[in-house]
Amino acid sequence: MSVSREEVERIARLAELHVDEAALPGLTEQMSRILDYVSQIAAVPGTETVQPFSPGPVALRYRADEVRPVPLALTPTQMAPAFRDGFFLVPRLGAFDAGAAGGDDTE
Amino acid sequence: MTSIAETASRLAGAASLNALLTPLAEVEASLTRQAERASTGPLAGMPVAVKDNICTLEYTTSCGSKILEGYRSPFEATAIARLKAAGALIAGKTNCDEFAMGSSTEHSAFGRTQHPFDPSRVPGGSSGGSAALVAAGAVPAALGSETGGSVRQPASFCGIVGIKPTYGRVSRYGLVAFGSSLDQIGVCGRTVSDAARVLAAISGRDPMDSTCEDRDPFQLPAPPENLQGFVVGIPKEYFPPDLDPGVRRGCERAIRILKDLGAAVRDVSLPHTAYAIPTYYIIAPAEASSNLARYDGVRYGPRFNGVPDVRALYQSTRGRGFGPEVRRRILVGTYVLSAGYYDAYYRRAQRMRALIAQDFRNVFDRGVDLLFTPATPTPAFKAGEKLEDPVSMYLADIFTVTANLAGIPGLTLPIGRVDGLPIGGQLLAPQFLEDEMLEAAFTLEQAVPGSEEV
Repeated sequence: MSVSREEVERIARLAELHVDEAALPGLTEQMSRILDYVSQIAAVPGTETVQPFSPGPVALRYRADEVRPVPLALTPTQMAPAFRDGFFLVPRLGAFDAGAAGGDDTE
Repeated sequence: MTSIAETASRLAGAASLNALLTPLAEVEASLTRQAERASTGPLAGMPVAVKDNICTLEYTTSCGSKILEGYRSPFEATAIARLKAAGALIAGKTNCDEFAMGSSTEHSAFGRTQHPFDPSRVPGGSSGGSAALVAAGAVPAALGSETGGSVRQPASFCGIVGIKPTYGRVSRYGLVAFGSSLDQIGVCGRTVSDAARVLAAISGRDPMDSTCEDRDPFQLPAPPENLQGFVVGIPKEYFPPDLDPGVRRGCERAIRILKDLGAAVRDVSLPHTAYAIPTYYIIAPAEASSNLARYDGVRYGPRFNGVPDVRALYQSTRGRGFGPEVRRRILVGTYVLSAGYYDAYYRRAQRMRALIAQDFRNVFDRGVDLLFTPATPTPAFKAGEKLEDPVSMYLADIFTVTANLAGIPGLTLPIGRVDGLPIGGQLLAPQFLEDEMLEAAFTLEQAVPGSEEV
């Protein structure tokens, strides 16, 4: 095993991903297999001096920095559960039991 | 030009494949509305289905994921706007592996797509729904997306044409991001011509995507009479000893046909090919783990009740919303980017990527115009066969992933069948030389008995 169960739990916390206890052993085994497999590139000599490669334009082109309307087909009211006075309304954390997100108790 | 009723009836005929995610009645109603905007463009009246990770105003965009189920994008992808401007009709959204992560279309939250010739097999992936619909004759072309072969591999499994353009040829605006340095919209087509016409319509500069090259839309080449003057390289690394014997026979026949057509065929070597899959499975998950951070229940994704704090909110949305393959890749990506591992994995993979790209430049700089390879190591495999072994699933993309790493264009086309299952050959070209690749593809397509046993 190249990763331990504890490491998988630590990585899951970093990734903000809830992992069920029951799924941990299988996930640890699969991650180990994947990481063992990809580690083979470490065995290739002479890669230290190579410049990393990225495709696409060499330099990014910038758009003019000006305020323009965002051309969206949906209004914020159509996109979000709740929207008022130019703000998206979200549920109070800890108040989820009271109802669905974006319900009447949102502030 | 196909009538709306005929398109609807063809889509209904392919319903058992589970390739189309949009309800048929919704597609038919939308096609009728779209057809009212009379158009005389180059694709006038052509129905084109679209992979579910490309944003459309007409239909929901769920990326095959529970976390985006029912999501309506407030904008449409540049590729979609251009298809519509060219007169095409958007014929629904197609099934895919969740967030385009997979090689079999089994990792969709909405069930697997069946292979059009054999329901027990997979159509390939991740654009398996697009490939299956085209192969079933429901639409002449469909958009897919490629990060490591997700158009070419399913196209090859299903016996149709798949094109991945040069990175930067087509705008990624409105393509839901997976691996941003690898992602590119591609096309599945019944024929080289169908696929190439769609590609021509969606290509070209776009101020909404800074990684899209500042070039005019791509012009369709005229099919040449023969391939005299073409130098076609055959990379030996793409013909390993364990290559499926049927795939090998099919490729050997296609190479003989290339020679008969007048092409000069030369053996070449791309020495770093063996490291392409490990390199890809570091870079793609790393980019995915960053791109998928936005599905947190605040920016995107459902919020679940009974959560005490904001971290629990993120974790419950992501934990419940993502399927197993997406979770694995997020975890692998987070691991290879984390402190202490970044240099050993991610930086090393970026350097290996440079060597893989250099391999191609070395060959193309020495007078080789195009490369010919098998598209996949085997014909379509059985559903379930590779689900429990992620690494063996990853190896299904071994011949396609190199083009994504190097940013070059690739095209796969049917070159025969083995026990009734299609096999594909692949042409690879230098960056932005899609026209040469298509010239060779047009000519080869006419000469190869693509639907006959080898």
